[in-house]
Amino acid sequence: MPKSFDEQKFGLLLILPSFILLGLVALYPILRNLILSFTENDQFIGIKNFILLFQDERFKSSLFNTLLFCLISVPLQLFLGLVFALILQQRFFTRGFVRTSVFLPWALPTAVMAVAWKWIFNDTYGVFNDILLRLQIIKEPLAWLGKPDLAFFCIILAEVWKCTPFVTVILLAGLQSIPPELYEAISVDGANTLQRFRLITLPLLRPFLLVALVFRTIQALGVFDSIWVLTGGGPGGSTEPISLYVYDTVFRYLKFSYGSTMVIFSFILSLIFVFIFYKFWGDRQIEY
Amino acid sequence: MYKLIIITSLMIASSYFSCYPQEKTKITFLGWPDPGGGFEEVISDFEKENPDIDVEMIKGPTSTDTRETMYVTSFLAGEATYDMVFMDIIWVPKFAKQGWLIPLDGWFKEERKEFLPGDIQGSIYQGKIYRVPLQSDAGVLYYRKDLLEKEGFMPPQTWDELIKISQKLQNPPHLWGFVFQGKQYEGLVCNFLEILWSFGGDIFDKKGNLILNSPQGVQALEFMYKLIHTYKITPEGVTTYEEEETRHIFQEGRTIFCRNWPYMWKLTQEENSPVKDKVGIIRIPHKEGKNSFSTLGGWGFGISKFSKNKSACIKFIKYITSYQAQKKLHLKSGIVPTRKALFSDEEILKLNPHYPDLYQILLSAKPRPVHPEYAQISDILKRFIHKVLLGELSPKTALDKAELKIKKVLKE
Repeated sequence: MPKSFDEQKFGLLLILPSFILLGLVALYPILRNLILSFTENDQFIGIKNFILLFQDERFKSSLFNTLLFCLISVPLQLFLGLVFALILQQRFFTRGFVRTSVFLPWALPTAVMAVAWKWIFNDTYGVFNDILLRLQIIKEPLAWLGKPDLAFFCIILAEVWKCTPFVTVILLAGLQSIPPELYEAISVDGANTLQRFRLITLPLLRPFLLVALVFRTIQALGVFDSIWVLTGGGPGGSTEPISLYVYDTVFRYLKFSYGSTMVIFSFILSLIFVFIFYKFWGDRQIEY
Repeated sequence: MYKLIIITSLMIASSYFSCYPQEKTKITFLGWPDPGGGFEEVISDFEKENPDIDVEMIKGPTSTDTRETMYVTSFLAGEATYDMVFMDIIWVPKFAKQGWLIPLDGWFKEERKEFLPGDIQGSIYQGKIYRVPLQSDAGVLYYRKDLLEKEGFMPPQTWDELIKISQKLQNPPHLWGFVFQGKQYEGLVCNFLEILWSFGGDIFDKKGNLILNSPQGVQALEFMYKLIHTYKITPEGVTTYEEEETRHIFQEGRTIFCRNWPYMWKLTQEENSPVKDKVGIIRIPHKEGKNSFSTLGGWGFGISKFSKNKSACIKFIKYITSYQAQKKLHLKSGIVPTRKALFSDEEILKLNPHYPDLYQILLSAKPRPVHPEYAQISDILKRFIHKVLLGELSPKTALDKAELKIKKVLKE
């Protein structure tokens, strides 16, 4: 039955304050950014900035780095997060303690953890080299943050370590929302563990996986602090993400218009990603 | 009714009293966390002498970049959040070009010759001075006195000598020859400039023409590459080091030579330092037949255009950069002074036997290119220098590319 007009109006009135608040903190900055990206010193310059953007080698390489970072680290986090969630769902002795310690990395400030990783990866006094040398996996100390490939490996390792717990929390909540009767029913039908996972757990976990995926992807596309501390975008610019370039452009070169153009570009990029996820993964309804 | 009257009168009274302290002129600046408490003491001394002025030092984060961002944000808002700008030497042209600083020529003219020349030179943009230097800073070479003396070596004057001594004494990976700051960040440019200057090159000539891509430039970059890959006196990990990494390596006795700033001296001389009393300090070496130069850093005070209390700011800046205040800052917080006379102050000399050496180094220190687009130029340089150190680009190709990009920035 449709609600009476008055009731609708009253409802709108109630959410108006939050709309205004959202408009001020979210919509206004986005619009202002959009305007800035098409102007230079208050003069309309059309899409000149966007043309410059696609000729800018540094931007292209930072775009590539961001996408690579996102495409490697997010699937890893989802996979590991799922594994951890499944383990933590089981009943075992000291489960509470293990759960807490698994979530610990997520609770630490990223910058602090990145400083710790920087020490760990140091070539002369870092723990990482020390362990590998003692195990005789490497013969000479490696400069982990000093070579493009190794540095990329390091930032991904640090990110996965830090953000997997977030995925674990969400998926664990998802697992707990699956009614146990379903498992009982399928057991009666004679399904094995793998079939149970494939037919019940995975489909019912889909909305939670989607949430984790969207959140992690958006954050990975905007990654800043861990890379800033660990490599500063080096070596030779090989780990620089878009956000670091934006920071330099706006705060150090004081080029606000060009910086806004990059922000608008990454905004659209995130939207495309989210759109794709919902289109291909989010449309099926789950019915118990 | 009575109640109402009482409440109203209380409110009036309280608003009057809360207004009262406002009659004092309040001036603020954003500083660092003030280890040693030197700034706090100088400020309270100043407030005792000038009871009508209230100076507030906002203790900002340690990171220079973050404090720069905080200043920029407040300037962009057009607000007088900070009346005075406590700034790094490289901010001067950028802020001055935006019109955020007021020139100080009116009252800071005669006294300039009392200060170190490099600090003054770096405070001037397009003929006007925007900063009164308070702390000086310049790259120096630390060396292990004990190791050199044992083998009868003199401290090196030239790069060739440094290589020779290193190769003779080193035992990598336990003891390296030479470490510097090689991470892709501002410190790398400071290190590169010192080597470039010591090979007779520069980024701009006196007229402001770009002369980076010269035979000297190629030689300097090649030399940096060879330190790691040919002479093998520098660990490959140098491409990840900032100041503190190099200090740890030096302080743990794992390198003979270390390029760093003067701050490191005090830390190497602490009680639990393994290299206590084993450290010497000299100028950055140079190529045979050329001269040594150090990159100048350092801090000083400017005044924000948006400040409403400029005369109080002038009073305070005059005070804090005076002989006595700088001396106090040095004794309390170890700040390297900018007034020449303080380098022959007996009390300071007693505590710092290396100050005469440091004075000579500071006298010959050069500021980085004073240019409003310096941040962008520096970023281009650090990317390409880093690529050379990694062996990804040859020195010549790197300079060709860097030159092209810098030209583009200059044209904009």
